[in-house]
Amino acid sequence: MTFFEMSDVSFHYDKGSRTVLRRFSLGLDKGESVGVLGQSGCGKSTLLRLISGLEEPVTGRIVIDGTTMVDARKFVNPELRGVGMVFQDYGLFPHLTVEQNIAFGLHRLSKKNRAARLGEMLELVKLQDYRRRYPHELSGGQQQRVAFARALAPEPALLLMDEPFSNLDANLRGEIRSELRQLLRAAEMTSILVTHDKEDADAICDRIVYMQANDEISQERNSS
Amino acid sequence: MNGFAWLRRLQRRSNTWMVISVIGALVALLPSLYILIGLFQKPNENWQHIQQFMLKDYALQSLWLVLGTGTLTVMIGVTLAWLVAAYEFPLRRLFSWAFVLPLAIPPYIAAYTYGSMLSYTGSVQVFMRNVLGWAPDQKYFDIMSMKGAIFVFTMFLFPYVYLITRSFFEKQSASFIENARLLGKNPLHIFFRVVLPLSQPAIMGGVSLVAFEVLNDFGVTKHFGIQSFTTAIFTTWFGMYDVDSAIRLAAWLMSVIIGVFLIERLLRKRKKYNASTSRTSPLSRRRLRGLPAWAACGFGAVIVSLSFLIPVLQLIVWAAWTYRDVLNAKFAELLVNTLSVSALSIVALMLHAVIAANVNRTGRSLFTLVLSKLISMGYSVPGAVLSIGVLAVFISFDEQLSGVYGWLGLGEGKLVLSMSLAMLIFAYVIRFLAVGYNAVEAGFEKTGNRYTEASRLLGFGMTRTFFKVDLPLIKGAVLTGCILTFMEIVKELPLTLLLRPFNFDTLATKAYQYASDEQIHQASVPSLFIIGVGMVSVFFYHWLGEKNSQ
Repeated sequence: MTFFEMSDVSFHYDKGSRTVLRRFSLGLDKGESVGVLGQSGCGKSTLLRLISGLEEPVTGRIVIDGTTMVDARKFVNPELRGVGMVFQDYGLFPHLTVEQNIAFGLHRLSKKNRAARLGEMLELVKLQDYRRRYPHELSGGQQQRVAFARALAPEPALLLMDEPFSNLDANLRGEIRSELRQLLRAAEMTSILVTHDKEDADAICDRIVYMQANDEISQERNSS
Repeated sequence: MNGFAWLRRLQRRSNTWMVISVIGALVALLPSLYILIGLFQKPNENWQHIQQFMLKDYALQSLWLVLGTGTLTVMIGVTLAWLVAAYEFPLRRLFSWAFVLPLAIPPYIAAYTYGSMLSYTGSVQVFMRNVLGWAPDQKYFDIMSMKGAIFVFTMFLFPYVYLITRSFFEKQSASFIENARLLGKNPLHIFFRVVLPLSQPAIMGGVSLVAFEVLNDFGVTKHFGIQSFTTAIFTTWFGMYDVDSAIRLAAWLMSVIIGVFLIERLLRKRKKYNASTSRTSPLSRRRLRGLPAWAACGFGAVIVSLSFLIPVLQLIVWAAWTYRDVLNAKFAELLVNTLSVSALSIVALMLHAVIAANVNRTGRSLFTLVLSKLISMGYSVPGAVLSIGVLAVFISFDEQLSGVYGWLGLGEGKLVLSMSLAMLIFAYVIRFLAVGYNAVEAGFEKTGNRYTEASRLLGFGMTRTFFKVDLPLIKGAVLTGCILTFMEIVKELPLTLLLRPFNFDTLATKAYQYASDEQIHQASVPSLFIIGVGMVSVFFYHWLGEKNSQ
């Protein structure tokens, strides 16, 4: 059964400007991890912004776990969609510490549960010793792990990742990829990874979708 | 299906922020609308007379003031900007911010300072007669004239042109200039054939600010006895007690301003285009040696002396003579008045600015575009025009609320709002909103949308995101906005003069009152306080610029 579905979604930024997406459709099963591959400028990041509600599609429909998030007459604001996102530049709040960043999205939990969940997440990404540091006091790899912990902490229905490895050294990448794959499996997380690097997608995702600029057809392929 | 798109849009956009900013924009628009409606009302007899005998003169005098000041500020501002940006010469670093200091001195204070200094009994002529034994013809000292007014405006407004043009030279012109240098062009050729044409939008941006300031002025033209549009509005209002004709004059002036405003916007658009296409590497300066170096230094020294040192030293001397009489309990009250009205206005203004800027950056649409244009418009409406509009709006509020006042036991038909400080605060907010708004907008631009988006995806709405994420990140920008508006409010004259409650004096109105009572020496004390506030703001602004460029 399809857990996430977007159908016939079209989008352009301003009136009269180039169409970024044209009648784009994509479906994911629960717990599935899909990689979206394409060159820069083909609308990969826009795809994630549409799913998360940061942009509004011109036409089309997006459904997550049976709830319509957007269609012709409905629009659910991003804070109510239960979608987690790891940004390319992480977007860690510079005025908050590591633990404040991770606990940021846990405002709906009680104080006790919040502390417990924070501890869990810190352990998961192995940053217990860095909880009181500020983002600028961390290495790139550590920052990235905080970004993952922050996105996963509120247990989102869907995790979106926008080129999460692009700021990492090549020798760190391999290690973090396999960590991430295990992490997503353990959490049975439904996720979409956007990247221009096929190796990233191969290492993490169950399935790969190719996207081309202005293309309405998406090719799909099962990876090993 | 598309018929429901507006519903979806409403779901996405409608929130308290949007509603507040819509109401704010409409309220801010009321005074200007009130004025413009005046154009379509039937004129009275008095207007025939004004139109026949005075209108042309008012318009011409204002035009000469704007043209004269505009031309001279461009010549001085651009030359100084080019010297500071492209050459290395003695005292350059000092000059680079000393050229901004004149902004700390409101032109009306400069006007009565120079007016008194150059009079028969003023320090200049006394020095010549008593020390040099030389009594030159009085005609050489006639500063209380059109030429004198242009001199004063030029000396104290050129920093607007200087600032905008310099930052353009430093940040955006490098690659063109370096190319021209490598192509073997001499400096003069580069300046006239490359630098000037390229910087035209920046220069126009600066000079239109100068034009708005000249049209806004009341103090200089009044003190020098020049019949400009603004003084004409005052005379018609308070001399002839003909509010209708005053509104009509204001409406005419406002139509001209809207024209200037639209032209300026068009030119700004081009400036944006320039900025996005050129590389932003800083310009490397050429070292001047020998005579050119000293000529540049000397020119800078003359400008700084005329536009800052001489008037400030003169004011300090006068203040030393009179401070014992002036600094008393009454003066403390002036300070309290000035500070309290500024504080209240700044709070109201910055709230409005932050809300509007936050709405404007989250959803770009036609509405938000109009909103931001409206906000920047307030700065270009002259004080005299705005004050008539505000007064008219408040009096009609009072008429509407008359029943409520009766019910509250205040008495029927009383003027409550239009006699209160609320009216002045309201006017300050409209006039200086752009100053605060631009500061906040710059702060938002610097932090970008990433943190806000991250917060919303973690389940926080716009309001909680604002307090938890946005506000901590832009608090520096908010502080900058507060300081800049504080300086503007402290030195503001026409609005304060017209809209203050009875017997409510601020530093600016007191300085003006002393000066118009021929108590120039006493005026120096409140003037120095105003200049002090201005200098603190200028230093802060400069420090912030340095910090950002590092």
